[in-house]
Amino acid sequence: MGIALRGWAFALGAVGTASLAGCQTESAPPPVAAIPSVTSDQIIGKWGLASYHRDSDRDRTIKEARAQCNKPYVIGKGPSGGVMMYLADQPQLSELVLKAGPDGKTYLGPPGDAGTADDRQVLDVDPASFTTIWVDPDNAARYGTMVYERCGKRA
Amino acid sequence: MTVRARVLARAAAAAIAAAAMVLPGLFATAQQIDMNVVDQPGYQPTPGEEQLTGAYERQEVFFRTSEPPGTIIIDTNQRFLYLVQPNNRALRYGIGVGRQGFQWSGLERIARKQEWPDWRPPPEMIERQPYLPRFMAGGPGNPLGARAMYLGKTVYRIHGTNQPQTIGHAVSSGCFRLVNEDVTDLYDRVPVGTKVIIKQAVAL
Repeated sequence: MGIALRGWAFALGAVGTASLAGCQTESAPPPVAAIPSVTSDQIIGKWGLASYHRDSDRDRTIKEARAQCNKPYVIGKGPSGGVMMYLADQPQLSELVLKAGPDGKTYLGPPGDAGTADDRQVLDVDPASFTTIWVDPDNAARYGTMVYERCGKRA
Repeated sequence: MTVRARVLARAAAAAIAAAAMVLPGLFATAQQIDMNVVDQPGYQPTPGEEQLTGAYERQEVFFRTSEPPGTIIIDTNQRFLYLVQPNNRALRYGIGVGRQGFQWSGLERIARKQEWPDWRPPPEMIERQPYLPRFMAGGPGNPLGARAMYLGKTVYRIHGTNQPQTIGHAVSSGCFRLVNEDVTDLYDRVPVGTKVIIKQAVAL
């Protein structure tokens, strides 16, 4: 008897599920992570690093960054395909990934959502340079806009 | 304690350990390191933080010296910078000075003046804080503050600061720091070539 009731319950449940499925409107597809416009390989290497707070200082900051290759900021490849870089105020390297934000911007930070406080926004990428600015307003105010200029032979 | 405060505290401890290992051959005294602080590049103090009070507030004082008006006299031990005025008077500014092992004395002249100087962290600082930019263009938040006056051919400067809480303390690598309003005031009063006497009483 118990087994028979459980069988009816299962059957009713299956019918109910099928009926609900038949009534459902088309659900949104699961989110697919957008592919960032910048790849890890583009930023791996040795860089001269300099920063500025006022746009009027950008040009000379770029020149200063090129002059800093005797103390390069080294970006290596991470074990999971990301890049090894420093987060703000952290002297230990972390593996970071490039992320495409819903706003169409490219971010660099720990795996997860794009545009969070630990992320940097990545701007103006070309083979010889790129620029980042911290998403966190406090970090952005303290460190300013950071310019990376590739060390070694320039294309 | 915030994450940032913890980071700064750790960095301060590392900085002091590093300083203890690399004491230069300057005129070290037995003066204690009286403040554990590291540079805070990019930090922008509030106007309230920059307002000094008490003895370190800029003020005219009685000051007897044989040096002519216009001379700068730095009293490292007392943490004061005097700009000699006529009639036994001087303008007195509160300053931050070199920490233990980084203090010195001598006679120099202002060789160069610079508004909103750029900042280049020294190599040992890059080693401790590898996330820092190797160059930071001058501006608010720059550790060298609003003005700099370079002392002779030395690596030392009289400069501003974005850390007003360090005035009255021994914190620097041998430079003399004033709050930005004070360093701007001094900068406007003294020309290149100004005589600067750095005094340091030997502790017994």
